[in-house]
Amino acid sequence: MSSVLDVVLSSAFLAAVLRVATPYLLAAFGGLVAERAGVSNIALEGQMLSAACTGALVAGYSGSVAAGAVCGVAVATLLGVLLAALRLELGADAIIAGIGINLLASGATAYAVYTLLDDKGGTSGLKSGTLPTVTLPGIESIPVVGDVLSGQNLITWLAFLVAPFVAWLFYRTRFGFHLRAVGEMPDAAASVGIPVRRVQYAGLALSGALAGLAGVFLSMGYVSFFVRDMTAGRGFIALAAVFLGGLRPWGVFLAALGFGAAEALAVQLGTLDVPPQLVSTIPYAMTLVALAVYAWRRKRRGTTTEVAASL
Amino acid sequence: MRYGRSAALAVTGMLALTACGGSDGDDSGAAASDKPRIKLVINGGLGDKSFFDSAYEGLKQAEKDLGYELKVVELGSDRTKWEPGFEDAASADDYDILAAGTFDVTEYIGELAPEFPDKKFWVFDAPVDYSGKNGTCSNKCENVYSVTFKQNEGGYLAGFLAERLVAEKALKGTESQNKVGVIGGVKIPVIEDFVVGFKAGFKDAGGKNSDVLVQYVGGDKPFGDPAKGKEISTSMYGQGAALVWPVAGLSGLGTFESAVTTKRYTFGVDSNQYQTLTDQAQKDTVVTSILKNVGNALVKAAEADQKGSLKYGAVDTVGLAEDAVGYVNDEHFRELVPEKIRTEVQEAADKVKSGSVTVPSAF
Repeated sequence: MSSVLDVVLSSAFLAAVLRVATPYLLAAFGGLVAERAGVSNIALEGQMLSAACTGALVAGYSGSVAAGAVCGVAVATLLGVLLAALRLELGADAIIAGIGINLLASGATAYAVYTLLDDKGGTSGLKSGTLPTVTLPGIESIPVVGDVLSGQNLITWLAFLVAPFVAWLFYRTRFGFHLRAVGEMPDAAASVGIPVRRVQYAGLALSGALAGLAGVFLSMGYVSFFVRDMTAGRGFIALAAVFLGGLRPWGVFLAALGFGAAEALAVQLGTLDVPPQLVSTIPYAMTLVALAVYAWRRKRRGTTTEVAASL
Repeated sequence: MRYGRSAALAVTGMLALTACGGSDGDDSGAAASDKPRIKLVINGGLGDKSFFDSAYEGLKQAEKDLGYELKVVELGSDRTKWEPGFEDAASADDYDILAAGTFDVTEYIGELAPEFPDKKFWVFDAPVDYSGKNGTCSNKCENVYSVTFKQNEGGYLAGFLAERLVAEKALKGTESQNKVGVIGGVKIPVIEDFVVGFKAGFKDAGGKNSDVLVQYVGGDKPFGDPAKGKEISTSMYGQGAALVWPVAGLSGLGTFESAVTTKRYTFGVDSNQYQTLTDQAQKDTVVTSILKNVGNALVKAAEADQKGSLKYGAVDTVGLAEDAVGYVNDEHFRELVPEKIRTEVQEAADKVKSGSVTVPSAF
């Protein structure tokens, strides 16, 4: 037991939590923005995957990491707009359209990599590099905090700034107010002159962009290449964090961080004498518990109208 | 609204079709020829840089040198598509030999082989259930050839070498590290066999088993999640591992990146990863690769089948003695590993080959 405590209290573990939580945080905020705009974005996984693939390919061919990151985020943003168009223009079911985008992303990324590199596994044969790490001057000299924060990737820093940004956007800007109004009750919002569709388009585009950042982190921060289906279900775990966080920015922040901590813990405990099957269930078990707690809280509040609106 | 939903369904269906479109294989199978036709059905995809790629290379060589005709079908990583995929592949009359690998396919082949008694089936890396007592192989799988590998022998040599390197402080920059790590994709017998062998080798060389860190990637994509592979490797290096050996497919690619940043070492697996990696800094971390030569075993099977000497209805187990398993002894290896240790490892290999050392197995 003491060895478990040693692990959890080490700065290496805390640094790992920040790294592991980064894609969850970004994708979860992507999911939150869409959810609050009234359209479930189940395509987070596909948007991450497309961004990861595009980022690595563009960076590899152009030699510019920045260009790769921008293009990756752009593609994910476009997929957000595509989801909005399918939902708003054609009246498609957002869940089914989202599944379609996920399938498209999985197939298209593998196809693109195979066409360009003649490799069915990934882009590891292409030198594409990673986004820079950031170290604030002087921070390294602070004990523990310095070890945890120094050398973290640029996107990890961004991921932690996204929470205050989204909180500010939701509660301090006109756009955020409109977004929430549209998500709660589109007819009422329209009756007071809010451009419902435009707000939802913007919300889903932002949602895609955030998921795109998460994807770019995977292929250009965490590791420096793309591998087929490398998101490995992270988009869905992020979606769970959205609901666990009660659709509120700081709640989602804590939930995503919690998932990151659970996975980092599973990694650190892995070498101790605990059955690996048990350890690797930690994040998933936590997801189930989280969803159950969420449903129970909902039920207690009896806000059935809210449930209906969020669907 | 109703129209919209069905439109979306149709779009989704089309996307799904596009997504799987790649798995139909090339339909070059033209007019009837006398060449024996092999159909390689992969429950996964090519591009793993090890297992399936090796099988594919081997059969390509059989096509080139022995006059076979090769067709490849990739079923993708969605397990629900495997069983129907194998049924389709087996019922099409465009092959003479159906080749497939991994433990997962043994049940499908065990059911299909009796249905198509005039076809031949090759299963690599796991045996079908020849007893026929558990619902499959109702014809005792008389038309199935299975080949399995003694990956535990490869693991043994890896463990032996790892212990010698750490004990002799032979790897530059890791003189103060006394541990080694092994990362498995998921805890299944084939992967466990590597691990059990590694531990035995490490111990026989004089090490303590508590210095061997073992961990599994697990999760949604155990053999395709390099981010998690990197995280686990970083954790192992942080715990004092001088070298880490990933046995986890593409997840292992994360290990090589982690080794570069932490300035430690790695072993490769299945194929010579000093050659398959492209980044020089990553290549330099690879001390050796433990080979599991699936392709070579298939070439040998093809040769034997042509002579009519391939044993159907039985399992063929190949290991160090048959050169189906081994380690890479190239210039890079000789540069990193002192001669004394190289000799010791060679002696250990000879002992396994001659049978004077029996390596424990997970099976």
